[in-house]
Amino acid sequence: MKEYIKLFLALLFIFLLYAAIMHFIKNPEIQNLPYYTFRTLLRISITYIISLAVGVFCGILAATNKTASKILVPIFDIGQSIPILGYFPAAILFLVALFNGAEIGLELAAIFLLFTSMEWAIFFGVIGAVKSIPSNIVEAAKIFGLKGLDYIKHVVLPAITPALIAASTLAWGDGWFFMIASEYISYGGKSYALPGLGSYLAKAAYEYGDLNLAVVLLILITFIVVIINHFTWHKLTERASALGYKPIFKFPTPDKKIQKRAWLHFPKFYLRQKIIFPVKFGEYTKTQKIFTIAVISLLIFSFIFFFYHSIPTISAITKSLFVPELSQLPIYILLTMTRLTIAFVISLVIAIAMGILAAENNKFAMIFFPLYDIGQSIPILALFPIIFIYLSKIFGGTLGLEITAIIMLVADMIWYMFLNIVSAIKTIPKDTKEVSKLFGLKGWERIKHIILPAIIPAIVTGSILSWATGWNTVIFAEYMPYGKEVLSLSGLGSFLDRTAYEQGNTILLIFLLFIISSIVILMENLIWKKLLEKCEKYETVEV
Amino acid sequence: MLLEVKNLTKSFVVEGKKVVALEDINFSVDENEFLAIIGPSGCGKSTLLRIIAGLETPDSGYVLFHDNPILSPTPKITMVFQQFGLLPWKTVFENVELPLEIEGVDERERRKRSLFYINDVGLKGSENSYPHELSGGMKQRVGIARALTLEPEILLMDEPFSNLDVLTAETLRDEVLEIWHNKKNVTNTFIMVTHLIEEAVFMADRVIVLSCRPGRLIENIKINIPRPRKKHERHPEFFKACDKIRRLIV
Repeated sequence: MKEYIKLFLALLFIFLLYAAIMHFIKNPEIQNLPYYTFRTLLRISITYIISLAVGVFCGILAATNKTASKILVPIFDIGQSIPILGYFPAAILFLVALFNGAEIGLELAAIFLLFTSMEWAIFFGVIGAVKSIPSNIVEAAKIFGLKGLDYIKHVVLPAITPALIAASTLAWGDGWFFMIASEYISYGGKSYALPGLGSYLAKAAYEYGDLNLAVVLLILITFIVVIINHFTWHKLTERASALGYKPIFKFPTPDKKIQKRAWLHFPKFYLRQKIIFPVKFGEYTKTQKIFTIAVISLLIFSFIFFFYHSIPTISAITKSLFVPELSQLPIYILLTMTRLTIAFVISLVIAIAMGILAAENNKFAMIFFPLYDIGQSIPILALFPIIFIYLSKIFGGTLGLEITAIIMLVADMIWYMFLNIVSAIKTIPKDTKEVSKLFGLKGWERIKHIILPAIIPAIVTGSILSWATGWNTVIFAEYMPYGKEVLSLSGLGSFLDRTAYEQGNTILLIFLLFIISSIVILMENLIWKKLLEKCEKYETVEV
Repeated sequence: MLLEVKNLTKSFVVEGKKVVALEDINFSVDENEFLAIIGPSGCGKSTLLRIIAGLETPDSGYVLFHDNPILSPTPKITMVFQQFGLLPWKTVFENVELPLEIEGVDERERRKRSLFYINDVGLKGSENSYPHELSGGMKQRVGIARALTLEPEILLMDEPFSNLDVLTAETLRDEVLEIWHNKKNVTNTFIMVTHLIEEAVFMADRVIVLSCRPGRLIENIKINIPRPRKKHERHPEFFKACDKIRRLIV
């Protein structure tokens, strides 16, 4: 089918969907749906363009200039490791307060929050791509006198295009993922809502408690995301790969059709990995370490300073820090860790099973990849209230929320594991597979002797990614504003939410974020690094 | 004297250990000469070529080109790469034309010269192909054409045939010799790095033999086999020269 006919049909479908929703759903705000859609799209697009400009400029600068790299990489590294909640004080303080709560201030705050979720993929994607330009091309460029802007125009920009498209896909998805969080900001007991699909969805679920509306909105959003992805990023990805660009990585599959699809997804995963581990702190140079620590201290200091309009006294700090609830911290950490561990084990088991099925069975893969495509497009955070409302009816409030939180975590953590495992199975060398055939290894024997050993490194890297994203999600998963009341599970995440949303205690918020990053860094060093080192001796699959 | 290498020394730090790649290298290259640099892998021959190209700076010593030291790449010395070094997002024509564009040559002259050298390496008709559509041999022809469009005085080649299959390499060797020999081409001084003894002896007027770690110049051998050498591949001199080099590096 011709592309424009497809586009026309898609638009027609969306139009009919809107007409149907606006006709059948009874809600005072439903007439604003097209306007909300427009506002959300505009907001995400503007933020994307800003992120793209900043990311390309700073990324190229950091990848080509050593001094710039020393300054920029730690800044972006810190930026991407702070959960979106950590930016709330800044957004509220600087932008909302600056405009006295006028809509322009809110809008700028929303764009700022979206930026903090979209920017990193592009920046680190650009750095990775510039650095992986083959050395023979770099040398040839030098020999033939390509310097400065000429070098950027003829070599750098074309070379990073595929990675830029992949990173854009990712950033765009992150924008939708954090749409609700950025349009519906609450801090220190005050809530601010901007016209948009995200805030409407939040209101439907939290204020109206209208489950039908929430589900319909969720489906609508998913359709919009899938259709936009199809007509923009997927097309661009295909074109870039057809235009004689070398793919940035190979993804060998026997089936052409799957290969095409896999190509579209693999970049996301590949980039994720690059993004979460752009530069490990341990590999920083001494100046970079000092600089990073200086930047962190300065950030914390200026936050606190601006919040209190003066340097806080020691007693003010201790007063905000040592709230009575702080004594519960070890128990909270334990509870949250337990939740994450349960979700991690479930993700691991399902991901291994699905990974093996998808990699070994083409039919399964054919069904699975499109499903995955849609699944990835649903903003998981939006699913949260909907699942909860269903489960609370069956299990009651607390247990319902507990199960919901774990489902949320699994839904978020499983993808990294799954994609890692599939790509590892796909890249098992052909001769290894032939050896297994030659010696008649089948079924469980084949899985045990060939596949499992080959995917162990992938499981480890997948685990690191899963935990990193899990920590971000758990902040939202333990805390559920429902109608006028708030349901929450005891844990580090809900403690953090209460600190921010209800009390607006910036000092404690910074302290808790610091605790979370310490746990993440400790786990990386004590568990994952050791496991990775162990895997290295196999020298198996190159991911 | 076109090119003079004087007391050249270069070392690297590999995993905290200092490795001397080149130690006190001295030789010179005349105009119209075809020089081959040979040595076991890892002996620093590529580093030597890169220093001549201006891509790397020596620790001490220098390379003189028309009596002036080389400090950075110059359009008068260009290079052909082992991995071709073509820009995948540009067509054959655009790849060949790019150096001229950077040099600020006007568009008509650019077109004329690019097409001339594309024709010269036998790629007429493939001007609009992208590198990924070409075979290895054709890619290297693009690499050679691109290096020639600037009409440099010296052409450097870094193992130019080692990424090609045996038969393609054989054909391309003859063609490179023809280009070198062709008086219509401005470029007629070639320096080639290789690890194949027969290739060096077959192509070069002179072979410089390097030892491994530290890379020292152990022999400077003149090859006195009449040209065209295709007819003289079984010449007793050919085997004598090959045996001599083999004894030196094995």
